[in-house]
Amino acid sequence: MKLEEFNNAVKSKISCGYEFKEDKDSYSNPSAWIILKDKRDSEVVAKAIKAYKGRCVVATAYKNDGEDVHTVIYHFDIAGTIINMQLQTDDATIHAITHILPSANWAEREIREMYGVEPIGHPNKDRLFLDYSIAKGVLNEYISLSKMQLGVSDTDVLWNNVNKEAN
Amino acid sequence: MTQTQKITIGPFNPELEESVYFKLEADENRVVTHVEIINGFIHRGMESLVTKKNFMQNLILTERVCSLCSNNHPFTYALAVEKIAGIKVPLRAEALRVIADEVKRVASDLFNLSMLTHLAHHHELMRDTMNTREHMQDLKEIIWGNRMDMSANQLTGTKYDLDEKKIELIIDTLDRVEPKLRDLQERYENDEIFREKTVGVGVLPYEDAIEIGVTGPVARGSGINNDVRVMAPYSLYAYRKELQPKVTLREEGDVHARAMARFGDILEAVRIIRDVVADMPEGDTYVEKRPHIPAGEAVVRTEAPRGELIYYLKTDGSQKPVRMRWKVPTFTNWEALKVMILGDKVDNVTMILNSIDPCISCTER
Repeated sequence: MKLEEFNNAVKSKISCGYEFKEDKDSYSNPSAWIILKDKRDSEVVAKAIKAYKGRCVVATAYKNDGEDVHTVIYHFDIAGTIINMQLQTDDATIHAITHILPSANWAEREIREMYGVEPIGHPNKDRLFLDYSIAKGVLNEYISLSKMQLGVSDTDVLWNNVNKEAN
Repeated sequence: MTQTQKITIGPFNPELEESVYFKLEADENRVVTHVEIINGFIHRGMESLVTKKNFMQNLILTERVCSLCSNNHPFTYALAVEKIAGIKVPLRAEALRVIADEVKRVASDLFNLSMLTHLAHHHELMRDTMNTREHMQDLKEIIWGNRMDMSANQLTGTKYDLDEKKIELIIDTLDRVEPKLRDLQERYENDEIFREKTVGVGVLPYEDAIEIGVTGPVARGSGINNDVRVMAPYSLYAYRKELQPKVTLREEGDVHARAMARFGDILEAVRIIRDVVADMPEGDTYVEKRPHIPAGEAVVRTEAPRGELIYYLKTDGSQKPVRMRWKVPTFTNWEALKVMILGDKVDNVTMILNSIDPCISCTER
């Protein structure tokens, strides 16, 4: 499949605009990035992936530094070519694509569990890995002990307090 | 009147290699009518942990995601870092990476097959499979110094090299192992006890396999070839097309088909190792020990023994990843279990589970 062909297939259907970037890995295998301006267009891309007999390999989420915005990247495969679809959400919701591509099932459930981003319309509400006693979006909230300890020495809090005492 | 039985397996059970919890419902004929699988017993928060460690430390941490495919994690992670850093790995290092990976594949797949024969209560076949695997374990111990974690990879290349003596040892080992493997392959294909327990059991039809997005021997057992070494070749597979495996595809989609697809992988791995050591490229084994990792993003894949392994890495120019995400084959193969188990006998459940060669430590991270 040619990436240009796929781009032409989604071009007229994406309503709110997007950026299309072609990339290659270290061994010249082609891949592409579709960066959506509006997260609601994710279903359009998912339908095109399905039409090309593709699958969702996995999805990645992360919280943008210093913002209350999450970035979600779906990694699709069509006959050996990776297509990454990137979107952003500022209200902790995305439109689930599992009903279009069942291969996205666990990936979307994990995003809900780890980042508290709700995939609206996902058929499965159960927890995947974490116990129910642990809050949703735990990766947004908790910091590890090592980070906390480093955090103390990273800042000047302790140093300033010692200086204040000394003066 | 239909009587429903509720059966639980796990989370800890002698027939399970790792912890997982099955809640099954079965009718009076012991046929499974409902499946619920509960995960999370081995979740370690590793994706969070890797963002607290530097790039060198993560090479060690990724090797400990899992034991059976431990080599694939640092290998794929290194590919992601090298893509961001724009580093071209020396050809000799690419060859060394492929050798380590294929040795690991043989040992991993043979372990799964011996567990399968164990569950089929065919202990003679299990013993012979394990004994054959021992040669590969010994080889790993002699060359890489460890029977599981080989520590073969480093950023920009490999930590180990092969001299003439070690290459001779590899060839000697393969000479001893290959006839045993061919004999085992014939027995797995035709042995009546093994066939009785595996043929027609845990069927995953082609259409379901496509929809769920399974990979590796599970996909190949249902007639789908999405082997990354063929579809998006990397490392030495990209430079030498003749190294790409001739994959074994089976149409049956049952436990037996998956076992035989795995056997195809094992024999191709032996052929690949022979081809690589017969024509080792000269040169360095790495570029630089501590490369600078600029800001960037990479999505890379390799073919682990169980199927496609994908890594996403995002960096910001500091010493640690901003985000690192990986997905192992079992993550998607797991959903296929429900299709395989529903309508089959309760007695076959652990056998069906084993046939996807589940790696729960990898899946839950």
